[in-house]
Amino acid sequence: MMITRKHLQRRTFLRGVGASIALPMLDAMVPAFAAPATRKSPVRLAFVYVPNGMIMQNWTPKGVGKDFEFTRILKPLEPFREDMLVLTGLSHLKGEGVGGDHARASATYLTGVGPGPKPAASSDVEIDISVDQVAAQAIGSQTRLPSLELGLEAAPMVGSCDGGFSCAYMNNMSWRDAKTPVPPETNPRLAFERLYGGFESNSNPAIQERINGNRKSVLDYVNGRTQQLLGTLGPSDRLKIDEYLTSIRDIEKRISKNEHENQQLVPTVEKPTGIPTSFVDHARLMADLLVAAFQSDVTRVSTLLFGKEASTRVYPELGFSDSHHPVTHHRGRPELIEKTVKIECHHLEQFAYFVKRLKSIQDGDGTLLDHSMIVYGSAMSEPNNHLHYNIPVLVLGRGDGSLKPGRHVVYPSPKTPMTNLYVTLLDRMGVHIDKLGDSTGRVEHLTDI
Amino acid sequence: MKRNPRLIWALVVVPLFCLGDETPTMPEATSAAFTKSVQPFFAKNCLVCHNSKLKTSGLDLEAYNTATAVFQDRGEAEKIVDRLRSGQMPPKGRPRPDDAELKLVAGWIDAELDRTDPLTKGPLPALARRLNRVEYNNTVRDLLGIETQPADDFPPDDSAFGFDNIAKVLSVSPLLMEKYMVAAEKIAHVAVFGPDTRSLTTTYQQALPRRMETTNLVLVKPPTDYSMTDYDITGLSMPGSFHVTHRFPVDGEYDIRMAGAGYRPPGSEIGVMTLWLDGKQIKSFDVLIDVPATGFEYRPDHWDLRIKVTAGEHTLVAAFPRQFEGLPPLYGGPNPSKLPISRERDPAIGIRHLEEDIAKQTVPELIERAKLEVERAKQQAALPITLRKESAFPGMSMTQMEVIGPVSSVQHPSPASIAKIYICGQPGGAHPAGCERKIIANLARRAYRRAVSTEEINQLVAIFAAGQKRSGSFDDGIAVALNTILVSPDFLFRIEKSDGSTSAAGEYELASRLAYFLWSSMPDEALLQAAEQGNLHKPEVLNAQVRRMLADPKAHALAENFSGQWLETRRVKSAHPDRERYPDFDDYLGASMIQETQLFVQEVVQKDRGVLDFIDGPYAFLNERLARHYGIKGVSGTEFRRVDLTGTGRSGILTEASVLTASSYGNRTSPVLRGKWILDNILNSPPPPPPPNVPSLDESAVGASASLREQLEQHRKSALCSSCHSRMDPLGFGFENYDAIGSWRTQDGKFAIDSSGVLPSGQTFRGADELKVILKQQKDIFSQGLTEKLLTYALGRGMERSDRQAIRQLVAQAAVNNYKFSSLLLGIVDSPPFLRQRPATALAAAVRTEGTR
Repeated sequence: MMITRKHLQRRTFLRGVGASIALPMLDAMVPAFAAPATRKSPVRLAFVYVPNGMIMQNWTPKGVGKDFEFTRILKPLEPFREDMLVLTGLSHLKGEGVGGDHARASATYLTGVGPGPKPAASSDVEIDISVDQVAAQAIGSQTRLPSLELGLEAAPMVGSCDGGFSCAYMNNMSWRDAKTPVPPETNPRLAFERLYGGFESNSNPAIQERINGNRKSVLDYVNGRTQQLLGTLGPSDRLKIDEYLTSIRDIEKRISKNEHENQQLVPTVEKPTGIPTSFVDHARLMADLLVAAFQSDVTRVSTLLFGKEASTRVYPELGFSDSHHPVTHHRGRPELIEKTVKIECHHLEQFAYFVKRLKSIQDGDGTLLDHSMIVYGSAMSEPNNHLHYNIPVLVLGRGDGSLKPGRHVVYPSPKTPMTNLYVTLLDRMGVHIDKLGDSTGRVEHLTDI
Repeated sequence: MKRNPRLIWALVVVPLFCLGDETPTMPEATSAAFTKSVQPFFAKNCLVCHNSKLKTSGLDLEAYNTATAVFQDRGEAEKIVDRLRSGQMPPKGRPRPDDAELKLVAGWIDAELDRTDPLTKGPLPALARRLNRVEYNNTVRDLLGIETQPADDFPPDDSAFGFDNIAKVLSVSPLLMEKYMVAAEKIAHVAVFGPDTRSLTTTYQQALPRRMETTNLVLVKPPTDYSMTDYDITGLSMPGSFHVTHRFPVDGEYDIRMAGAGYRPPGSEIGVMTLWLDGKQIKSFDVLIDVPATGFEYRPDHWDLRIKVTAGEHTLVAAFPRQFEGLPPLYGGPNPSKLPISRERDPAIGIRHLEEDIAKQTVPELIERAKLEVERAKQQAALPITLRKESAFPGMSMTQMEVIGPVSSVQHPSPASIAKIYICGQPGGAHPAGCERKIIANLARRAYRRAVSTEEINQLVAIFAAGQKRSGSFDDGIAVALNTILVSPDFLFRIEKSDGSTSAAGEYELASRLAYFLWSSMPDEALLQAAEQGNLHKPEVLNAQVRRMLADPKAHALAENFSGQWLETRRVKSAHPDRERYPDFDDYLGASMIQETQLFVQEVVQKDRGVLDFIDGPYAFLNERLARHYGIKGVSGTEFRRVDLTGTGRSGILTEASVLTASSYGNRTSPVLRGKWILDNILNSPPPPPPPNVPSLDESAVGASASLREQLEQHRKSALCSSCHSRMDPLGFGFENYDAIGSWRTQDGKFAIDSSGVLPSGQTFRGADELKVILKQQKDIFSQGLTEKLLTYALGRGMERSDRQAIRQLVAQAAVNNYKFSSLLLGIVDSPPFLRQRPATALAAAVRTEGTR
């Protein structure tokens, strides 16, 4: 196999593993890969979610405009000061209510609509389309996947969850319509297969070449054998085996096509084997996959849930064994607040890794980050008493010049709906809608003071 | 020699199709009988509704004015015979026709249908059958000793006729083909080099029991299955225990991380959590008690333990023993706490704080929320202390279990895989000359379930050689050859060769039919050898093989796959009973239900009991959880055991919780669904689907303003509904004493249960026991239904007219043999549809086969 210079250059961007050729990829991916570098870079939109609110006194920067001070939780993002907007004062008042605050938080975050029906009345769900799916439905046909939903917490809950609401609200944040959730994929292997198909690949070109050779002889044999078999079959069996042969040829075609164009077809991650044991590894792997998806223009819209609302994940790497949700109900106790802040910093560190990767990748006339809008945050502010207003919000990236980052913007709280931001960001994707959930208009000051 | 497929069409298929188009002339006698008996019968008994004006159900018998006209639409004619024979027509309320006349008419239609049936000459061809997901998993297990269930990643198989092994709908999409390719590479690698040993995390979660949820202000419903003085002190059978069956990829150490929730009232002594591995308690942990002052309800904690296990499935259970001990004396549990009683907090203070909050708020949403909080606090304050949310005892629950590992392990193939692959040489070792040929010939013969030709083996050995050359490793070559075998159509499909006649199916084909019918897997060595020797068609050999196969643990597949679909109990897995109404339903109870039914079916199969036991066999297989669910005393522990049901109000499968749950809605029972279930599965006369635009039931009124029975009676007044619902609903009412998860009840909401009913035949009954007596009288109908389902499952296709004769014989034979299961099963295996081959296929090119062992 030949390795072009371009290929090698790209490999240097990869973390740990080398580049690899995954065979085969779907036809629809090829135009994106093969497209000349002169095309205009599209804008990518992603929502990265952390559950259980935020300790706001350690989040909200002092000072507004360009001269804001980094707080303890935001610290990991300091290298990206000029790429970020800190937005204060946005709210999800549809999340207010008594009981089931985590279900409410999760339901409203991307939709601006409270969950229905009332607790425990029914296992039905009633909500509305989420912002990412609005974008996916408008521009998703231009990419192989309309959108990509990722998560770091597996095993969906069943039955009824927080507050007696359907668990669907806690398991999912993306909604295709009022009834249909788009569930997040938490297994990196399956996420990879969504992006590139299911075949194993290897970063060692010699081994990969061997795998390709083996695969080719398998397919040659099967193809030949099937044709031979067809000649011996009755008409009804022929139909079945014909169907099989068509599918085999489909795969053969994809493989040979990819071999001709293999220098273009470089997934920038190696195929994962399953869910890594450590949270950090899992988070970084998913970030790598998402970066790869944006880089190869497999999709332009994504959500990544670091955890589900009311997550009880334990972070042993922080040196204590308390689980997340209970410590956030700190009841004003300093040691619990301290632990909560540590977890929140830990999340920001993983997010910073994702941002760094986006910034490190050349995309058209800038970096991938320049052509992205990445919203980071939680649906609640103070977790101890479940406040749904004045929630923590960051926007990373420049939206292809449509955002002026490097500032802290404060909106009137609690009367500025979070959905106003969403509608404004959608404009920058070329998706213009009047209203999303409880939105009352657009937010200002994304490009000026 | 390769034949021209076109020619074969012309030779074989066209004549068969022609039969359908050009029906041979109808005999004189048939037309005569029409005018003499059939037409007058229609006029007297049917035309009142089925005339050219009313055309009830779309049937106009006035248009049936000649004998030929009756058979214009064969499907309609078959329907008419069925309705007449089963007594559904003429409907209740119309005079019954003379029995002899009815039989004559039905016989006349049957005879003419049989005579003109294009396929009466032999059973319909079964198409090439793709392995479904279960069959793929089991075949890989038996072929290579690999238990990872790779097909779980495949897209779900389509079903038809109630089963997911129907040839016609098992298709191969490009997506599935890719999954086959990927799975084959992986399986070959695992088989030759061993399972992946990188550490992975698997997370299992279960929902909190409803009574522990935050918005649940008071205990939802007092527990019915246990009390503070009569409960499972091990905690294993209590709701909230967590039962996990995990497949460990390799021998080694794994970390188990468990998280729980729940709390004990202030003043309780420390609680305990225990972890059990394969039925043995391996560790116990303290559960710290810390009810925070703010009234925050959860006190989750988590515990870690490293365990050492062998590869394969193991069960892990986390449970809270002696839950009701060590509580404050106020609660009335055994061995109360000796700690000082904690001071009661004054709820009035909290309410005052909340009211102060309201005054500070300006945003309407936030004022609304604060008001609700005040209301909630006032509700709480009005309750007696033991019921208040902050101090009531909702129990403890495990919510999460993670299996992390292996901690460290060296990759090597499992002994089972080595034994199945390396019949000479050894992995990573020396190999005598020609060893690869032996290994490959053996694998191909078993994977293709037949003798393989020299040419086939040569090709596979060439692939081996190329693979070996690429990497220099013998094992790599074997892996590539194995990979090839696993995506070959000969492995993925069961393609039956045929010589074009309707004579006996080939020996290997018969071996596969048996193996996939009884085991959902490939034939074993004994079956392959019997086929090789050409003995399988000998009745005594066939009989002995079937008995041997039924005694094998692999025959569990019949209980799992056949009965799981026949009895629809697979649905229990996806059932989500309303947790408000059924707060103690959890995954363990659901899994126990499914297990109970499988064990019952297995008992009938392996002990060769009469199939009427399905209706009222007075025994069950229960563990403690289910026994308590049924209110049956004296069963303790998680082991299932046979329990005598005399005097318990239960018997057979109709009153098993799995069936009762599968035929209910999540929030209530449905006499309609249960009635339909009985018509489908016991009485073999499925009702047609409901017509469009029928008014549905007012859900909210059930149990509140009108009983379910009253509502359904309202529904039945509509003539549109009554023809079917008068058949379904009464059957369902007989089981109204069992709620939507199969617990006994005497009330539904504020209404007393009335489980009596009147069937269309006029028979009346009170309760399930009396109804079962009536159902059991329909011996032949029941065994015919079961026979048809078994045959459908065995053949992978729907029943056709040409099968009728065989079915009739099987039912008659079963009656003679006291409806013993073996009579049905052996009968099926010995019936023409099972034994004969497909008539409509071409000759396969004769292949010389190579002896492979």
